[in-house]
Order: sequence, then structure tokens, then C-alpha cells
Amino acid sequence: MNDEKKQALYEQYLRSTHRFGRLASVLTLALLLGAPFVIGVYLQAMPDLGAFARGFLSIGLVYLVSCIAEYLIYVPMLGAGGSYLAFITGNLINMKIPCAINARDIVGAKSGTAENEIISTLSIATSSLVTIVVLFLGVLLLIPLQPFLQSPVLQPAFDNVVPALFGAMAYKYYRGNLKVAVFPLVIMSLLFILVPSLTGSTSFMIIPSGAIAIGLAYLFFRRENGRLSETEAQK
Amino acid sequence: MNILSQLNSPVIYLICGIIVLFVALVCVVFAVRAYRAGKAIGMDVTKMKRTIVASATFAVLPSVGILLGVIALSGSLGTPWPWLRLSVIGALHYETQVAEAAAEAVGLGGLSASLMTAKAFTTIALLMSVCIMWGMVFCLFSLRKYSARLNNPKPRAEGKKKGLALAGFGDVAMTAMFIGLVSAYLGSYVGTLVSGGSWLPLAVALVGAAAMGLFILIREKKDAAWIDSFSVAGSMLIAMTAAIFLGKLA
Repeated sequence: MNDEKKQALYEQYLRSTHRFGRLASVLTLALLLGAPFVIGVYLQAMPDLGAFARGFLSIGLVYLVSCIAEYLIYVPMLGAGGSYLAFITGNLINMKIPCAINARDIVGAKSGTAENEIISTLSIATSSLVTIVVLFLGVLLLIPLQPFLQSPVLQPAFDNVVPALFGAMAYKYYRGNLKVAVFPLVIMSLLFILVPSLTGSTSFMIIPSGAIAIGLAYLFFRRENGRLSETEAQK
Repeated sequence: MNILSQLNSPVIYLICGIIVLFVALVCVVFAVRAYRAGKAIGMDVTKMKRTIVASATFAVLPSVGILLGVIALSGSLGTPWPWLRLSVIGALHYETQVAEAAAEAVGLGGLSASLMTAKAFTTIALLMSVCIMWGMVFCLFSLRKYSARLNNPKPRAEGKKKGLALAGFGDVAMTAMFIGLVSAYLGSYVGTLVSGGSWLPLAVALVGAAAMGLFILIREKKDAAWIDSFSVAGSMLIAMTAAIFLGKLA
């Protein structure tokens, strides 16, 4: 098959991904927003819309800002199919993003390519299905599992899933990019030391930390490219 | 019938189960479509299979952590609703915060089964749904344009020179963004430690990093590429096991 045919197939796939992704998002939204009302009919207690509006004004706007940031940051990492699926299934920071980045790294896919789009979608779909199955089995076996999962002995392990994940990912990504990693790590550590209350807003701190890392990466990238151009010019 | 019995009734399990099943089907369809498209455009099938294996092993431990979130919320919201929220759209670290804040916003002193009423529950459930739905809403209205813009950036006024200079920067930027994400979390662990909080998260992260170092060393020395699929899950397992022992010292 020639490259033109492959490109045409890929573009057709992307178009249908957007169609299907939109349809799936609309249906999921309708189901999620409809569920409290359906439950309300069953319980004979519909949601209090006044209390809902007050609640939304006090907490909803914070999450709206957070969702805008997440959307802008994560879509370039996930591609189209991966983004639709990741925002439908949730758990982005603690699972979907590291999982998709890890898969991309294992197969060596480059961002913006068809391969990256496919790998990212496969990775997020697989991890979402694993979560759905684990939660289903967990809920099914909730009574026998509860004493085990909530035993005080195991509590430190489950309280530290995210540190364990980010420690492992840090080694993997810092080792090849030490120059880029040191500065944001130092700045973030200092910020969290000087303003301890920021620990409650770590997900927001990803934005400045990411911006610093991208800025540094850009400087090094430009310098490296400049050197390569000079070497080629000398040849 | 008390409120928790009502919230754990078969009807509510059925309502939530239908939505979870729908999302599971969406995942299957996305996966099958991606796999078929990958094959059609000539991608290496081995790479796709490795992705599936690596992602499945990767997801097991965080999923058990998410299950604990379900258990934590089930004491006040019943089991089916947290099960739905954390299977679909929700996030472990948001869901408990939003549920707590929503309970306060609807006039309950806090998230507690003894204070819960049916009306408070349905209002909290609606607030939880609306607060975290925006990513999906943005995807619905702007993902097509946004991803097209990312794949074909507009030429700048300075012309091709700058575009050429930036060629290949996409991968570097993505890696840098991820480094920024990880740095924010590691920085928060350092901050927690220095400000007199627990040292355990930082210690666990260091053990996770050391374990990953070991996996990478084995991979390079033994030329064992298969280990990549299990290195993150293996490192997490080692770090979480270490947390049990280190937790006794904390």
C-alpha cells in the first residue's frame, strides 16, 4: 500500500473518530446528568436546584478552571481518540496520562503521528477497561474484600499509589532529560516549602511547572539545532 | 428503610450499572477501531499488542487504589454511585473533595451517612456530575478544531524559517510537559516533608525511582525489551510494598 492510500485511510479514521467521540460524549453526558434525576424519581426526592446553583457557584467554578487547564494540556499528549476516551473515563493524572506516555515511549511513537494516535487510544481504552473490571470485581466482592483492603497494615501502600507511580516515572523521564528536569523540580520544591498550603492545589501547579520545563526544553532544543546547523554548514 | 439501604438498592445498582456498561462498550469500540485502523495503515501488530499488555499491567495497581476511593465514599453515598463516578469520568483525587464540598454546599455539615437525606444525595450527585463534566464538553465542541490546529499549526508571520526551527519540537515539548507534571508532584512531597508533614510520600517515590532504575538496568544489560511492559507496574508494586514497611517507622 502506498503512502497516499495510508494517509487517506488515516484521515478517514480520524474523521470517524471525531464523529464517534462526539456521539459517545453526548450520550455519556446525557446519562450522567440524567442519572441523579432518575434516581430522584426512584427515591421520590428530586435534586434541589437552588442548593445545586449555590453549590456550583462555590465549588463548580474552581473545577471549571481546572478542566480548561487539563483540556489544553492533555489533548496534545493524547491525540483525538485518546482525548475523547480519557475525558469520558476520567482518572487522567493518576492513570491515563502516565499510561499513554509510557505506552508511547515503549513503542517509540512520535507525537502528532498516526502511530501515536493509535497507540494512545489503545492504551487509554485498555487501562479504562482494566479499571472498570477491577472496580466491578471489587464492588461484587466488596464485603469479603473490605477488611483486606482497609486493613491498617496495607493502608500506607494504598495511600501512596501516586507517589509510587510518579517516583517510577520520574526516574524514567529524568535520566535522559536531567537538564530540563532539575530547574522545575527545584522551583516546585521551593514553592511548596515556602507556601505549604499549595499542596492542596498540586494539580494547578502542573501549569507553571510544565511551562518552565517546556521553556527550558525549547532553549536547549534551539541551542542543539543551532549547533547541528553550524556543523552542517562547516561540512 | 434507612438512607444507605435506599442508596444501595438494586434499582440504583441497575441505573449505575447500565451507564458503566455503556462506557465499557465505548472503550471496546474505540480499542477495536484503533486496532483495525493501525493494521490498515500498516502499523506493526506487535507494537499494538505490547501497548495493550503494558497498559493492562500498568492499570491494575492504580485501579485498586481507585477501588479504595469507592469504599471510602460508599460509607456516606452508598456503593453504586461512587462505583459509577470512579468508573466513568471521575478522578480519585477530585471525587472525594467534590463530594465533601457538595455536601457542605447543600447544607449538610459534612459528608456523613447520619446527615444524608435522599434530596441531599440527588443534589450532591448532580453537583458531582456537573463539576467534572467540562473536559467532555470541551471535547464535544472544540476537540476537532483544537487537534487539527495542533497537527497543522498556522504559519507565522516570519514564515517558514521559524516553522523549520520548531520541526521536531513536539515530542520534546510533550516530554517536557510530563517532566513538569511529575516535578510538581515530587515538589509537593518535598514541601510536605520540610513543612513538618509526612516523609513517606517522598520515600515511596524514591523507592519507586530506584526500582525503575533497576528494571532499566536489567533491560539494558540483558537486552530484555519485554521488561518495559512491566517495569512501571513492577516499580509501583515494590514502592507500595516498601510503603508498608516504611509506614511502621513514620
